[in-house]
Amino acid sequence: MNGTFRSVSLVWVVLSGCLFFSSRRTSVCAAPICTNGKAGCHVLSLANLFDRVIQHSARIHGISSDLHSEFEQYFLPSKNQIGRVGRICHTSTIITPNGKENAQRMARGELTEVILKLLVAWRDPLWHFHQSMAHHHDFNNFSSNKALEMNDMVHELRQGVEKVAEKMQVQGIISNSVSSLASPEDLLPSDSVEWQLMKDYVLLYCFRRDSNKVQNYLKILKCRIVPDHGC
Amino acid sequence: MSAPGKPVLLGCRSPEKETFTCWWEPGSDGGLPTTHHLYYERERLEGTYECPDYLSAGRNSCFFNKNHTSIWVNYYLTVMASNALGNATSDPFKVDVMEIVKPDSPRNVTLRVEERKDSPCLHVRWRPPSNTDTKSGWVTIKYELRVKKDNSNNWEEYMSGTQTHFSLYSVSPGVVYTVQVRCTLDHSSWSEWSNTTYVKISNYLQNERPFLMLISILSVILFITAGFVLIMKRKSVKHWVVPPVPGPKIRGINSQFLKVAGSEDVSNALIFNQSFPPIHFVWEDQMEEYLNVTENEDWLSFNSQKRKKSLIPACFHFDSEIHCKESTCNQNEWEKDEEISKVDNNNKPFTNTGYVDFQRHVENVQGANVKHVDYSRIKEVKGNNVLILETENIQISNIPEDYHRVKEMEGDHLVVLQKQNAADINYTDCALHKPRKPHVCTESSNSGYVDTIPAPPLM
Repeated sequence: MNGTFRSVSLVWVVLSGCLFFSSRRTSVCAAPICTNGKAGCHVLSLANLFDRVIQHSARIHGISSDLHSEFEQYFLPSKNQIGRVGRICHTSTIITPNGKENAQRMARGELTEVILKLLVAWRDPLWHFHQSMAHHHDFNNFSSNKALEMNDMVHELRQGVEKVAEKMQVQGIISNSVSSLASPEDLLPSDSVEWQLMKDYVLLYCFRRDSNKVQNYLKILKCRIVPDHGC
Repeated sequence: MSAPGKPVLLGCRSPEKETFTCWWEPGSDGGLPTTHHLYYERERLEGTYECPDYLSAGRNSCFFNKNHTSIWVNYYLTVMASNALGNATSDPFKVDVMEIVKPDSPRNVTLRVEERKDSPCLHVRWRPPSNTDTKSGWVTIKYELRVKKDNSNNWEEYMSGTQTHFSLYSVSPGVVYTVQVRCTLDHSSWSEWSNTTYVKISNYLQNERPFLMLISILSVILFITAGFVLIMKRKSVKHWVVPPVPGPKIRGINSQFLKVAGSEDVSNALIFNQSFPPIHFVWEDQMEEYLNVTENEDWLSFNSQKRKKSLIPACFHFDSEIHCKESTCNQNEWEKDEEISKVDNNNKPFTNTGYVDFQRHVENVQGANVKHVDYSRIKEVKGNNVLILETENIQISNIPEDYHRVKEMEGDHLVVLQKQNAADINYTDCALHKPRKPHVCTESSNSGYVDTIPAPPLM
């Protein structure tokens, strides 16, 4: 008994030591900051950053489309049943260009701001949606996973676009007026009636549209700023 | 004559996400000329509007140009048919341009055959549909192509991504290939397949085939024959590659003989081998170990060395064992030899078979028929080593000139003979014996003689 206790404690000590040292090492590795082409550090160009965020947004739109069609199957709402008046997306207050020419005419900084506003606006609703999906036993795990994935990806995309904006500001492409945006509570209070009214299907419908907007705006922005790379 | 029937909106399509067209199906016209009007309402836009263009897209259609197209907003369309007697309105049709995008097919699909050495390949090239705008990044076109061989119905599909060209490497000569291409804008529906394009790959490779076939067949035949030859001659090949190690052999034992011989012969051979250890075999090889028999002393001194080898050795095989075992080895005998006077010069050495004195077993003599214990006549010779002695006393009156008396022994190998004096000696003739190996001819006499059976006469 004494011997086993000792061996177990020894194993624990060894494991904790290993973990401690490995964590120390990783933290040490994470410390160096890349500054403008330091050796061994790969600095991403603006074009690369744009490509990444565009790919991200394409994937988000794909997932939202899949979820939307799944919902359509489940609830079979006829396309025309959704009333014109009742349904409104919570992001409809954000002014967005509704065509190619309008998007091209908009200033780059402004367009970037629109993108960021959209992404910020969807952070909380998507999280709520994911929660409701998890509790809904009508849907399989596949849909629940997709909802979670969508939530995470939107969060990551927002961070990516913020990085792009930052880089553009550094390079002087856009002015410094794109500030860190206000929290979505400014758009919609968390306990607002609209949210509760918003059913999942409508949420997906709205989000599918907005994700497509984000994707298109990013592509327009990229070809305006770095036109040589695959435009 | 009645009011027109209700028209039905069939659908709408946007080829590039910048404009769109909608079509409707008119109902019955009620026998009167009927007109149709399309009205729409739009999300975030107050009011009802009529279709801006009824003509560009053909009959019963409405074309919305860029100015009238908004993406990500809902359009609510209705078509009204009206004639003199009444109106009919279709059901509302909701459309969002984002959802109705379907591009045109790719243009100018061209095929080019590249005839390389080993295998030809097919290069497909096309142009994007004319109305799409990829330069501004508004849409990203992805392509897909499918290929069919000859007249089969199986299409092979390939994704081309955003490239406007594609290469097929697994093409066979003499086959007609049919290629079609289609595209999609981001997440939109796929376009229709392009017009089919054909190409036939020439058969230039066929000429080389018979030649190659011939060469391959010849080499296969060569291999097979080489294999056969090797198998036939495998023993000699094996000997050549791995030479056999010579095994031990016992002289006098013929292994082949042993294999085929009967048991008697085998036992004879083996017994013979036991009782007679192969010392005499050794003598065979030692060609130098002759007994030089000569009359001439001087010849001896001059030619002793030379003549060592001239004497034919295999006259007599006697066993040194017998020699040593002689119990009644008489010393007197040898003493007698010494008394023999010297011979005068007679330079004729013996070249023929010569005999030597040998001591026989006294024990073998039975009775007292043999007068002198030293000599006995051999009756017959059995095998190689067995001598059967004559027990009778034989006397021969004649004195052939073949016989000589030993004068002395010179060393181990030289016996000096006395020149014969016919009157003195009582000889026995042993010329009766057939000369055979070993030639042995002895007689019972009272003096030590060496008998010879010469083939030619000595003198």
